[in-house]
Amino acid sequence: MPRALNGEVGLHLALLGPEDARPPVVMSHGLLVGNLATWYLTCAPAVARSRRVVTWDLRGHGMSDRPPTGYDLPTMAGDLSTVLDLVSPDGSADLVGHSYGALVALRLALSAPRRVRSLALVEAPLSRADVAALTGWASVPADQLAAALPAALQADLDRGGRRARRLLQGLAALVTGTSVLDDVAAFPGLSDEELRRLSCPVLAIYGTRSACRPEADRLRRVLPTATVVEVEGGHYLPLEAAADVGSLLAGWLHA
Amino acid sequence: MSDKAEILDTIAGLIRQVVGEDWIADVDIGMDTSFSDDLELESIEFVALAEHLQQVWGDRIDFVGWLSGMELDEIIGLRVGQLVDHVAGCLER
Repeated sequence: MPRALNGEVGLHLALLGPEDARPPVVMSHGLLVGNLATWYLTCAPAVARSRRVVTWDLRGHGMSDRPPTGYDLPTMAGDLSTVLDLVSPDGSADLVGHSYGALVALRLALSAPRRVRSLALVEAPLSRADVAALTGWASVPADQLAAALPAALQADLDRGGRRARRLLQGLAALVTGTSVLDDVAAFPGLSDEELRRLSCPVLAIYGTRSACRPEADRLRRVLPTATVVEVEGGHYLPLEAAADVGSLLAGWLHA
Repeated sequence: MSDKAEILDTIAGLIRQVVGEDWIADVDIGMDTSFSDDLELESIEFVALAEHLQQVWGDRIDFVGWLSGMELDEIIGLRVGQLVDHVAGCLER
Protein backbone atom coordinates (compact mmCIF):
# COMPACT_ATOMS: atom_id res chain seq x y z
CA MET A 1 0.00 0.00 0.00
CA PRO A 2 1.57 3.33 -0.99
CA ARG A 3 2.19 5.83 1.80
CA ALA A 4 3.26 9.46 1.63
CA LEU A 5 5.30 10.86 4.50
CA ASN A 6 4.94 14.47 5.68
CA GLY A 7 7.63 14.73 8.32
CA GLU A 8 6.72 11.97 10.78
CA VAL A 9 3.13 11.62 9.59
CA GLY A 10 2.39 8.65 7.31
CA LEU A 11 -0.52 9.10 4.91
CA HIS A 12 -2.34 6.13 3.35
CA LEU A 13 -3.14 6.24 -0.38
CA ALA A 14 -5.24 4.06 -2.67
CA LEU A 15 -4.95 4.47 -6.44
CA LEU A 16 -7.32 3.58 -9.28
CA GLY A 17 -7.31 3.82 -13.06
CA PRO A 18 -4.66 3.64 -15.76
CA GLU A 19 -1.15 4.26 -14.40
CA ASP A 20 0.04 6.10 -17.50
CA ALA A 21 -2.84 8.62 -17.51
CA ARG A 22 -1.17 11.87 -16.41
CA PRO A 23 -1.63 14.19 -14.63
CA PRO A 24 -3.49 12.48 -11.79
CA VAL A 25 -6.73 13.46 -10.10
CA VAL A 26 -6.34 13.64 -6.31
CA MET A 27 -9.48 13.27 -4.16
CA SER A 28 -9.64 14.41 -0.51
CA HIS A 29 -12.44 13.30 1.84
CA GLY A 30 -14.23 15.13 4.66
CA LEU A 31 -13.41 15.34 8.35
CA LEU A 32 -14.28 13.05 11.30
CA VAL A 33 -16.36 10.35 9.62
CA GLY A 34 -14.73 10.30 6.17
CA ASN A 35 -11.87 8.25 4.80
CA LEU A 36 -10.62 7.42 1.32
CA ALA A 37 -13.48 4.96 0.81
CA THR A 38 -15.77 8.03 0.69
CA TRP A 39 -14.39 8.51 -2.83
CA TYR A 40 -12.97 5.12 -3.78
CA LEU A 41 -16.25 3.23 -3.49
CA THR A 42 -18.50 6.01 -4.83
CA CYS A 43 -17.44 8.55 -7.47
CA ALA A 44 -13.80 7.63 -8.13
CA PRO A 45 -14.45 4.60 -10.40
CA ALA A 46 -16.37 6.75 -12.92
CA VAL A 47 -13.42 9.13 -13.21
CA ALA A 48 -10.87 6.29 -13.18
CA ARG A 49 -12.16 4.86 -16.47
CA SER A 50 -9.67 7.14 -18.22
CA ARG A 51 -7.86 9.08 -15.49
CA ARG A 52 -5.41 8.05 -12.79
CA VAL A 53 -7.19 8.72 -9.51
CA VAL A 54 -5.46 9.03 -6.16
CA THR A 55 -7.53 8.84 -2.97
CA TRP A 56 -5.89 9.38 0.42
CA ASP A 57 -6.75 9.30 4.10
CA LEU A 58 -6.41 12.69 5.80
CA ARG A 59 -4.23 12.62 8.94
CA GLY A 60 -6.15 11.10 11.84
CA HIS A 61 -8.50 9.24 9.47
CA GLY A 62 -8.72 5.78 7.91
CA MET A 63 -5.33 4.07 7.77
CA SER A 64 -3.20 7.22 7.99
CA ASP A 65 -1.32 8.12 11.17
CA ARG A 66 -3.20 10.03 13.86
CA PRO A 67 -0.83 12.71 15.20
CA PRO A 68 -2.07 14.81 18.16
CA THR A 69 -1.93 18.10 16.22
CA GLY A 70 -1.94 19.63 12.74
CA TYR A 71 -5.59 19.54 11.69
CA ASP A 72 -5.56 23.17 10.53
CA LEU A 73 -5.81 23.89 6.80
CA PRO A 74 -2.21 25.07 6.18
CA THR A 75 -0.79 21.88 7.75
CA MET A 76 -3.23 19.61 5.93
CA ALA A 77 -2.58 21.43 2.64
CA GLY A 78 1.05 20.49 3.35
CA ASP A 79 -0.07 16.86 3.67
CA LEU A 80 -1.84 17.12 0.30
CA SER A 81 1.29 18.67 -1.19
CA THR A 82 3.29 15.65 0.02
CA VAL A 83 0.79 13.37 -1.71
CA LEU A 84 1.22 15.33 -4.97
CA ASP A 85 5.02 15.00 -4.69
CA LEU A 86 4.59 11.24 -4.58
CA VAL A 87 2.02 10.73 -7.34
CA SER A 88 2.64 13.47 -9.91
CA PRO A 89 5.88 13.73 -11.91
CA ASP A 90 5.66 17.53 -12.14
CA GLY A 91 3.87 17.93 -8.79
CA SER A 92 0.61 19.20 -10.25
CA ALA A 93 -2.83 17.59 -10.28
CA ASP A 94 -6.54 18.15 -10.68
CA LEU A 95 -8.00 18.30 -7.17
CA VAL A 96 -11.36 17.09 -5.90
CA GLY A 97 -12.49 17.50 -2.30
CA HIS A 98 -15.54 16.89 -0.15
CA SER A 99 -16.34 19.18 2.79
CA TYR A 100 -13.17 19.90 4.82
CA GLY A 101 -11.23 18.02 2.12
CA ALA A 102 -12.48 20.66 -0.34
CA LEU A 103 -11.10 23.37 1.96
CA VAL A 104 -7.73 21.58 2.09
CA ALA A 105 -7.60 21.51 -1.72
CA LEU A 106 -8.70 25.14 -1.89
CA ARG A 107 -5.99 26.15 0.60
CA LEU A 108 -3.34 24.48 -1.59
CA ALA A 109 -4.72 26.24 -4.68
CA LEU A 110 -4.24 29.58 -2.89
CA SER A 111 -0.78 28.85 -1.49
CA ALA A 112 0.67 26.93 -4.45
CA PRO A 113 -1.44 27.81 -7.52
CA ARG A 114 0.95 26.21 -10.01
CA ARG A 115 0.39 22.80 -8.44
CA VAL A 116 -3.38 22.89 -8.88
CA ARG A 117 -4.70 22.48 -12.44
CA SER A 118 -8.34 22.62 -11.42
CA LEU A 119 -10.54 22.43 -8.33
CA ALA A 120 -13.77 20.46 -7.88
CA LEU A 121 -15.31 21.43 -4.54
CA VAL A 122 -18.11 19.21 -3.27
CA GLU A 123 -20.07 20.74 -0.39
CA ALA A 124 -17.25 23.11 0.56
CA PRO A 125 -18.11 24.79 3.90
CA LEU A 126 -16.57 28.15 3.00
CA SER A 127 -17.61 30.11 6.08
CA ARG A 128 -16.74 29.74 9.75
CA ALA A 129 -20.41 29.14 10.53
CA ASP A 130 -20.63 26.27 7.99
CA VAL A 131 -17.70 24.46 9.57
CA ALA A 132 -19.03 25.01 13.08
CA ALA A 133 -22.43 23.61 12.06
CA LEU A 134 -20.84 20.52 10.49
CA THR A 135 -18.49 19.63 13.34
CA GLY A 136 -20.44 20.91 16.37
CA TRP A 137 -22.15 17.54 16.92
CA ALA A 138 -18.78 15.95 17.79
CA SER A 139 -18.18 18.26 20.76
CA VAL A 140 -19.82 15.86 23.20
CA PRO A 141 -18.36 13.34 25.67
CA ALA A 142 -17.06 10.22 23.90
CA ASP A 143 -19.91 8.03 25.17
CA GLN A 144 -22.46 10.32 23.52
CA LEU A 145 -20.88 10.34 20.05
CA ALA A 146 -23.15 7.56 18.76
CA ALA A 147 -26.29 9.55 19.50
CA ALA A 148 -24.75 12.74 18.12
CA LEU A 149 -23.73 11.28 14.74
CA PRO A 150 -25.47 13.00 11.77
CA ALA A 151 -28.56 11.13 10.55
CA ALA A 152 -27.04 10.44 7.12
CA LEU A 153 -24.29 8.44 8.83
CA GLN A 154 -26.44 6.46 11.25
CA ALA A 155 -26.77 3.48 8.89
CA ASP A 156 -23.49 1.90 10.01
CA LEU A 157 -24.58 2.22 13.65
CA ASP A 158 -28.00 0.76 12.98
CA ARG A 159 -26.33 -2.38 11.67
CA GLY A 160 -24.59 -2.57 15.02
CA GLY A 161 -21.74 -4.87 15.92
CA ARG A 162 -18.14 -4.62 14.86
CA ARG A 163 -18.48 -1.88 12.24
CA ALA A 164 -20.34 0.46 14.60
CA ARG A 165 -17.83 -0.23 17.37
CA ARG A 166 -14.86 0.54 15.13
CA LEU A 167 -16.47 3.69 13.71
CA LEU A 168 -17.06 5.04 17.22
CA GLN A 169 -13.61 3.99 18.49
CA GLY A 170 -11.89 5.81 15.63
CA LEU A 171 -14.08 8.85 16.08
CA ALA A 172 -13.51 8.98 19.86
CA ALA A 173 -9.73 8.64 19.43
CA LEU A 174 -9.77 11.49 16.94
CA VAL A 175 -11.92 13.96 18.87
CA THR A 176 -10.51 13.23 22.33
CA GLY A 177 -6.89 12.47 21.40
CA THR A 178 -6.14 15.22 18.89
CA SER A 179 -6.55 18.95 18.38
CA VAL A 180 -8.97 18.41 15.48
CA LEU A 181 -12.00 20.19 16.98
CA ASP A 182 -9.90 23.12 18.26
CA ASP A 183 -8.19 23.41 14.88
CA VAL A 184 -11.42 23.48 12.90
CA ALA A 185 -12.94 25.93 15.40
CA ALA A 186 -10.02 28.27 14.66
CA PHE A 187 -10.86 28.29 10.91
CA PRO A 188 -11.78 31.92 10.17
CA GLY A 189 -13.69 31.18 6.96
CA LEU A 190 -12.68 32.15 3.44
CA SER A 191 -13.07 35.79 2.49
CA ASP A 192 -14.49 36.94 -0.84
CA GLU A 193 -11.05 38.38 -1.57
CA GLU A 194 -9.42 34.95 -1.12
CA LEU A 195 -11.99 33.28 -3.34
CA ARG A 196 -11.36 35.89 -6.07
CA ARG A 197 -7.67 34.98 -5.99
CA LEU A 198 -8.39 31.46 -7.28
CA SER A 199 -6.86 31.35 -10.74
CA CYS A 200 -7.64 27.77 -11.84
CA PRO A 201 -10.97 26.46 -13.21
CA VAL A 202 -13.40 25.81 -10.34
CA LEU A 203 -16.39 23.46 -10.20
CA ALA A 204 -18.54 23.70 -7.06
CA ILE A 205 -21.27 21.18 -6.26
CA TYR A 206 -23.78 21.71 -3.44
CA GLY A 207 -26.68 19.61 -2.15
CA THR A 208 -30.15 21.14 -2.44
CA ARG A 209 -30.94 20.17 1.17
CA SER A 210 -27.55 21.03 2.67
CA ALA A 211 -27.01 23.81 5.20
CA CYS A 212 -24.00 24.82 3.04
CA ARG A 213 -26.18 25.46 -0.01
CA PRO A 214 -26.15 29.30 0.36
CA GLU A 215 -22.43 29.12 -0.45
CA ALA A 216 -23.47 28.23 -4.01
CA ASP A 217 -25.07 31.67 -4.39
CA ARG A 218 -22.06 33.36 -2.84
CA LEU A 219 -19.70 31.61 -5.27
CA ARG A 220 -21.85 32.59 -8.26
CA ARG A 221 -21.62 36.21 -7.10
CA VAL A 222 -17.95 36.32 -6.03
CA LEU A 223 -16.45 33.98 -8.60
CA PRO A 224 -18.57 34.26 -11.76
CA THR A 225 -16.12 32.11 -13.73
CA ALA A 226 -16.83 29.12 -11.47
CA THR A 227 -19.21 26.39 -12.59
CA VAL A 228 -21.73 26.00 -9.77
CA VAL A 229 -24.10 23.04 -9.77
CA GLU A 230 -26.75 21.92 -7.28
CA VAL A 231 -27.54 18.24 -6.85
CA GLU A 232 -30.51 16.70 -5.03
CA GLY A 233 -29.23 15.70 -1.59
CA GLY A 234 -27.67 16.82 1.67
CA HIS A 235 -24.12 17.44 2.86
CA TYR A 236 -22.82 13.88 2.37
CA LEU A 237 -23.27 14.04 -1.40
CA PRO A 238 -20.57 11.54 -2.43
CA LEU A 239 -22.51 8.92 -0.44
CA GLU A 240 -26.03 10.24 -1.04
CA ALA A 241 -25.73 11.00 -4.77
CA ALA A 242 -22.69 9.03 -5.91
CA ALA A 243 -23.93 8.47 -9.49
CA ASP A 244 -24.79 12.15 -10.10
CA VAL A 245 -21.63 13.49 -8.51
CA GLY A 246 -19.52 10.83 -10.25
CA SER A 247 -20.82 11.77 -13.70
CA LEU A 248 -20.42 15.51 -12.99
CA LEU A 249 -16.81 14.92 -11.95
CA ALA A 250 -16.12 12.63 -14.91
CA GLY A 251 -17.43 15.32 -17.27
CA TRP A 252 -15.46 18.06 -15.54
CA LEU A 253 -12.25 16.02 -15.66
CA HIS A 254 -12.85 14.77 -19.22
CA ALA A 255 -12.72 11.22 -17.94
CA MET B 1 -8.13 -27.87 -6.43
CA SER B 2 -10.27 -26.05 -8.98
CA ASP B 3 -9.44 -22.52 -10.09
CA LYS B 4 -12.28 -21.03 -8.07
CA ALA B 5 -11.27 -22.93 -4.95
CA GLU B 6 -7.77 -21.53 -5.30
CA ILE B 7 -9.07 -17.99 -5.81
CA LEU B 8 -11.38 -18.36 -2.78
CA ASP B 9 -8.42 -19.56 -0.74
CA THR B 10 -6.33 -16.55 -1.78
CA ILE B 11 -9.16 -14.07 -1.13
CA ALA B 12 -9.95 -15.62 2.27
CA GLY B 13 -6.29 -15.22 3.24
CA LEU B 14 -6.31 -11.57 2.15
CA ILE B 15 -9.53 -10.90 4.10
CA ARG B 16 -7.89 -12.34 7.26
CA GLN B 17 -4.86 -10.13 6.65
CA VAL B 18 -6.96 -6.98 6.14
CA VAL B 19 -9.17 -7.59 9.20
CA GLY B 20 -6.15 -8.47 11.33
CA GLU B 21 -8.17 -9.40 14.43
CA ASP B 22 -8.08 -12.69 16.36
CA TRP B 23 -11.71 -13.71 15.72
CA ILE B 24 -11.31 -13.81 11.92
CA ALA B 25 -8.92 -16.79 12.18
CA ASP B 26 -11.84 -18.95 13.38
CA VAL B 27 -14.32 -17.81 10.72
CA ASP B 28 -14.96 -20.22 7.88
CA ILE B 29 -14.89 -17.94 4.84
CA GLY B 30 -16.87 -19.50 1.98
CA MET B 31 -18.60 -18.49 -1.24
CA ASP B 32 -21.78 -17.54 0.69
CA THR B 33 -20.02 -15.44 3.32
CA SER B 34 -21.35 -11.87 3.26
CA PHE B 35 -18.85 -9.03 3.59
CA SER B 36 -21.47 -7.01 5.41
CA ASP B 37 -23.56 -9.39 7.52
CA ASP B 38 -21.00 -12.08 8.34
CA LEU B 39 -17.68 -10.24 8.35
CA GLU B 40 -18.89 -6.68 9.08
CA LEU B 41 -16.13 -5.36 6.88
CA GLU B 42 -15.73 -1.57 6.99
CA SER B 43 -15.75 0.26 3.68
CA ILE B 44 -12.09 1.20 4.10
CA GLU B 45 -11.22 -2.46 4.72
CA PHE B 46 -12.99 -3.31 1.47
CA VAL B 47 -10.73 -0.79 -0.30
CA ALA B 48 -7.67 -2.34 1.39
CA LEU B 49 -8.84 -5.75 0.13
CA ALA B 50 -9.19 -4.32 -3.39
CA GLU B 51 -5.62 -3.00 -3.17
CA HIS B 52 -4.35 -6.43 -2.11
CA LEU B 53 -6.24 -8.12 -4.96
CA GLN B 54 -4.57 -5.82 -7.44
CA GLN B 55 -1.17 -6.60 -5.96
CA VAL B 56 -1.83 -10.31 -6.48
CA TRP B 57 -3.45 -10.22 -9.93
CA GLY B 58 -2.51 -6.76 -11.24
CA ASP B 59 -4.22 -5.48 -14.37
CA ARG B 60 -5.64 -8.91 -15.11
CA ILE B 61 -8.66 -8.08 -12.96
CA ASP B 62 -10.81 -5.09 -13.85
CA PHE B 63 -11.81 -3.92 -10.40
CA VAL B 64 -12.58 -0.30 -11.27
CA GLY B 65 -14.96 -1.18 -14.10
CA TRP B 66 -16.72 -3.68 -11.84
CA LEU B 67 -17.12 -1.18 -8.97
CA SER B 68 -18.32 1.63 -11.22
CA GLY B 69 -21.47 -0.32 -12.00
CA MET B 70 -22.44 -0.67 -8.33
CA GLU B 71 -23.87 1.48 -5.55
CA LEU B 72 -22.00 1.62 -2.23
CA ASP B 73 -24.66 -0.53 -0.53
CA GLU B 74 -24.33 -3.15 -3.26
CA ILE B 75 -20.54 -3.21 -2.88
CA ILE B 76 -20.66 -3.59 0.89
CA GLY B 77 -23.49 -6.14 0.56
CA LEU B 78 -21.49 -8.45 -1.74
CA ARG B 79 -20.81 -12.08 -0.95
CA VAL B 80 -17.29 -13.46 -1.15
CA GLY B 81 -18.44 -15.78 -3.95
CA GLN B 82 -19.39 -12.83 -6.17
CA LEU B 83 -15.87 -11.47 -5.85
CA VAL B 84 -14.41 -14.92 -6.54
CA ASP B 85 -16.60 -15.25 -9.66
CA HIS B 86 -15.54 -11.82 -10.88
CA VAL B 87 -11.84 -12.58 -10.44
CA ALA B 88 -12.26 -16.00 -12.09
CA GLY B 89 -14.08 -14.39 -15.04
CA CYS B 90 -11.32 -11.82 -15.52
CA LEU B 91 -8.56 -14.44 -15.32
CA GLU B 92 -10.28 -16.59 -17.96
CA ARG B 93 -10.19 -13.78 -20.52
